Amino acid sequence: MPLLEVDALCKSYDGSAGAATLAIENISFNVERGEFVALVGPSGCGKTTLLMCIAGLAAPSGGRVAVKSQLVDRPPPDLVLVFQEYNRSLFAWRSVLGNVLFGLEAKGRGGKAADERARRLIGLVGLEGFERHYPWQLSGGMQQRVAIARALAYEPEVLLMDEPFGSVDAMTRLELEDALLAIWKELGTTILLVTHDIEEAIYLSDRVHVLARRPSRVVETVAIPLPRPRHQVTTRAEPSFMELRNRIYRRIADAG
Amino acid sequence: MRPSKISGFVALLAVVAAWELVARAGLVNPLLFPAMSKILASFLALLASGEIPAQIARSMERAAAGYFLAATVCIPLGVAMGLSERVYRALEVVVETLRPVPPPVVIPVAMLFLGIGDGMKIFVIFFSCAWPILLNTIDGVRNIDGLLVDTARTFGLARGRTILKVVLPAAAPQIMTGLRISLSITLILVVISEMIGSTDGIGYFILNAQRRLKVDQMYAGMIALALLGYILNQAFLFVSKRLLRGR
Ligand SMILES: Nc1ncnc2c1ncn2[C@@H]1O[C@H](COP(=O)(O)OP(=O)(O)O)[C@@H](O)[C@H]1O
Ligand SMILES: [Mg+2]
Repeated sequence: MPLLEVDALCKSYDGSAGAATLAIENISFNVERGEFVALVGPSGCGKTTLLMCIAGLAAPSGGRVAVKSQLVDRPPPDLVLVFQEYNRSLFAWRSVLGNVLFGLEAKGRGGKAADERARRLIGLVGLEGFERHYPWQLSGGMQQRVAIARALAYEPEVLLMDEPFGSVDAMTRLELEDALLAIWKELGTTILLVTHDIEEAIYLSDRVHVLARRPSRVVETVAIPLPRPRHQVTTRAEPSFMELRNRIYRRIADAG
Repeated sequence: MRPSKISGFVALLAVVAAWELVARAGLVNPLLFPAMSKILASFLALLASGEIPAQIARSMERAAAGYFLAATVCIPLGVAMGLSERVYRALEVVVETLRPVPPPVVIPVAMLFLGIGDGMKIFVIFFSCAWPILLNTIDGVRNIDGLLVDTARTFGLARGRTILKVVLPAAAPQIMTGLRISLSITLILVVISEMIGSTDGIGYFILNAQRRLKVDQMYAGMIALALLGYILNQAFLFVSKRLLRGR
């Protein structure tokens, strides 16, 4: 039984002039327990909408989403979404530490253990020394890392990430990718990550779903048989990495 | 002190000095316009005798009761109206009908039902303070970024805790604005209601001094009131700064 099932999902938004926008026409795929799956696709193909439906924050217009065989009609417990608009999701009145502690407080975990866990994750995303800063005192990339640390500190069973490294610089990005892989391995989290960076999708995941627009659907699922642990230099230099890259790239270009 | 504050202080001194000169030159009837030195002496005497502190204490009791009653009722109500379209619709007409009523107009009605005791004054203050607090709370809650609430939901926060941990802190700056506007309204209404029907309080004291032609005492009461307003506002800013920081 897959941990996450998306079955013939359809979602349209009511337009202001009566015309509805069809954000997702028909998307189906599964994610197995402990799997790392990446979604790639052109912008506007409905990736954010898809994650909002899976997270129980938007109601599908058709089809169904299930987590652990439970129909998603509200935010499922133990599933956390890292929003694409990370800056709007941070609490301006909480410090970096306060923001990262938020999820732990929500879980009813407090005290020294929670504090230590939050500080460890702040360190892991490279923000040590910024615990007492407020979100508006940080750069976009740093804010994005706070949002990631907050989600990781929660230790969800399922982690959905919407272009989580979009605003961080290239060097930090590589470090964060490896940090994410380390946590994934340590906690056995199931991860569904949206990215527009094809190489990032290949480097991180077990499978890549390629999405296309109009109608938005999964056009191809590419298994990534690259050995783990992966390494930023050697993995990316492997011939099979290049082949996978080219194949996915061509698929996206064809699908338009 | 900031330079702008210093120049403001200088301007105040200039007004006081001009007052003194005009009064001493006998340009205006001294019975109606005593010298500032005489007023200040009277103010200090009333302060020392405990007369002014006692009157202000009476006024503050009424003001605090009405003000905190308004906050206790209107913040929860505003949150409910801001969050729920249904609650908002149900109460919108009532709010829009009552809100434009100028608060002093309520005094005769309140006297009819509550007499001229403290109940009347507290009700009048409550009625006039309610609107800025209510409307600012509704507005503050409605303008919260929906993504903040989504964030709370994805972390599994229940609705009640979402209100406490996300909605209230996010709307706090605007709720504070409402509370601050109401604070100055409170002062106005307590004085008016005391002038209309009372036997004590700073409003009564000022009117009574005028009636007995103790003009210097009347002005002394006004100075006390001005100082009180200033102190209250400063105290509010102090408290609100700490509250907003510790959200
Ligand atoms: N809240 C909304 N209301 C109306 N249309 C929306 C809304 N959110 C997204 N859309 C539309 O749905 C489509 C998919 O958007 P989105 O899910 O954000 O795509 P992606 O994340 O892949 O870039 C776009 O055409 C977008 O304009
Ligand atoms: Mg998106």
